[in-house]
Amino acid sequence: MNAMKRYLYDGTADGLFSAISWILEEEADPEKVILAEREQTLFEDGFFINTNVAQAELLFTRLRNCAPDAAYSIYMFILAEKCGMESSLLHYISLVFRHGDKVSGYLTHPAVRDIVSIAKKAGRELHRMKGLLRFEKLQDGAYLAKMEPDHNIIQPLASYFRTRLRAQHWFLYDVKRRTAAQWSRGVLQFGTIEQFITPALSEDEKKVQLLWQTFFKTIAISDRKNPRLQKSNMPMKYWKYLTEKQGD
Amino acid sequence: MDTLAKLQILSGAARYDASCASSGSKREASSGGIGNTSQSGICHSWSDDGRCISLLKILLSNDCRYDCAYCVNRSSNSVERASFTAREVVDLTLEFYRRNYIEGLFLSSAVMQSPDSTMDRMVRVVETLRLEEQFGGYIHLKIIPGSSSELVRKAGLYADRISVNIELPSQASLQRLAPQKHKDAILDPMALIGREITSSLVERKADRRAPRFAPAGQSTQMIIGASPENDFQILRLSQGLYKKMNLKRVYYSAYVPVSDDNRLPVLASPPLLREHRLYQADWLLRFYGFSAEEILSDDLPFLDETFDPKTAWALRHPEFFPVEINRADYATLLRVPGIGVTSAKRIIAARRFSAITPEGMKKIGVVMKRAKYFIASSGRTFEKPVRTPALIRQQLLLGEATATLPSRQLVLPGLSL
Repeated sequence: MNAMKRYLYDGTADGLFSAISWILEEEADPEKVILAEREQTLFEDGFFINTNVAQAELLFTRLRNCAPDAAYSIYMFILAEKCGMESSLLHYISLVFRHGDKVSGYLTHPAVRDIVSIAKKAGRELHRMKGLLRFEKLQDGAYLAKMEPDHNIIQPLASYFRTRLRAQHWFLYDVKRRTAAQWSRGVLQFGTIEQFITPALSEDEKKVQLLWQTFFKTIAISDRKNPRLQKSNMPMKYWKYLTEKQGD
Repeated sequence: MDTLAKLQILSGAARYDASCASSGSKREASSGGIGNTSQSGICHSWSDDGRCISLLKILLSNDCRYDCAYCVNRSSNSVERASFTAREVVDLTLEFYRRNYIEGLFLSSAVMQSPDSTMDRMVRVVETLRLEEQFGGYIHLKIIPGSSSELVRKAGLYADRISVNIELPSQASLQRLAPQKHKDAILDPMALIGREITSSLVERKADRRAPRFAPAGQSTQMIIGASPENDFQILRLSQGLYKKMNLKRVYYSAYVPVSDDNRLPVLASPPLLREHRLYQADWLLRFYGFSAEEILSDDLPFLDETFDPKTAWALRHPEFFPVEINRADYATLLRVPGIGVTSAKRIIAARRFSAITPEGMKKIGVVMKRAKYFIASSGRTFEKPVRTPALIRQQLLLGEATATLPSRQLVLPGLSL
């Protein structure tokens, strides 16, 4: 059996897409190719492909045009920040160019299953956070929501709240990644926060939080208490920032 | 009384309403206002009973003139009474919505002076939210039986979903336990809502700017276990409501003993397993192409406690199986225990590329420990071919004995399909 051909890229998303674009051009059968992140060792086995941002963008545009649903899955897959799955992505994209959007139904193919299931997981957390995110009103009238999601979903989450809470000035802050989004006067901005200083809350904030905590308690039917079901629907890792779960 | 004390009373009084859905409506946010709705609905939290919270679920008032035996708010019950002002409800909704606690408002009420005066006060709350505050979030409004058609129509114009509770599965039970509520006062507005929804859909096809009427449809709720009806009667009633009244959802609510009235059965705990089986059977009616008469009959009027209704049906119909997974159509695949709507669709999508093997079935997400008794792939069955239903029954039970018991609390999440 021939050894699989091995290619390397620099570890960035742009690098990944330029490498995939290059391989799809040059290789007759991309399914026989391995793609991995370059490690900084002296004698690394494989052929390094240079990053070309324009090439990477072109590939993604082509994907969006010919298979919008698959392109969205790929976007969600990237947000999942999974390491070591570059080959699966390469094989998936090559299948997308062959079969179009319906390829995501080919769940018995290992690469399709890898990409689709990881993209689904990221999508599920995005949907979950749309519900579980909690804003607190600050002294200056702006609203702040802190979170620690498993996937890097701040971008799609912010675009969701841009339409929902469009008349409000708000921030999202990903505590783990130190990234933030700000919506103010019709402009959405992203950035990183070096040092986070907890801002003061508005005067009535604690009052509103108490109202919500009270509602949360009374709406449960005590004859039907079911903590296991509660935890399976709302895993404890999200409780840290839930207003109704403070003091639990 | 301050808002906090009222909230405690009026959310506590609303908790027996099972509906929590926030799905089925899609509205863009207006430029100056707040809020939108999303087609799939969003759950915002899960309370200690495991049920999803997506709406601020409250009564406008619990000060009731009626004396329905099963209801915690009945006039003869000595509970503390409270009523919100319209402003209080509007402010609570907005403050909660701005912090992303909720998808919107679920407003119901006890019958105060009269059905019409109560309904009028409820409609005014949502009118203020929609027109003054330009609130674009989800609103579920309960219709008070006996309200005028004019108020019902107004409610449908502001709310995403409206519902009239059918309360009990038969007229006889209604007469016995809720003598002030009449069958016609419940069914007339239901029929009116059904007609308005249909005509609004027709008008909107012709003109996209035509007003929407309850875009997320209408639902209802009935109490299970407070009256003697069997599951077959209940399922036939639901089937009729889906087919004739065009309802989106029927909710079943296990009777929680709140009274020692001698017209009511004495229960140690709410019949949650029965409620769960009814929801499963309801799913079969709505998404799996089953009829009530296939699931139950006069000779078999109650759902099996041991097996879910689909497995129970499969065990009664050995002639239908095994189903060939690489050739069977969607409707046939759906009849296989262990194959749901999602996996049936996935099977059809995946076999376009290549034949599906037993391994592939697992990858797709089919529950093989149930499905394996009922399917074949390329002519080969997965289990030994000659298996009597009695054997399969035993095998299924033994296999499931090691698995954890299914959760017994099962108001399903608000993501209706």
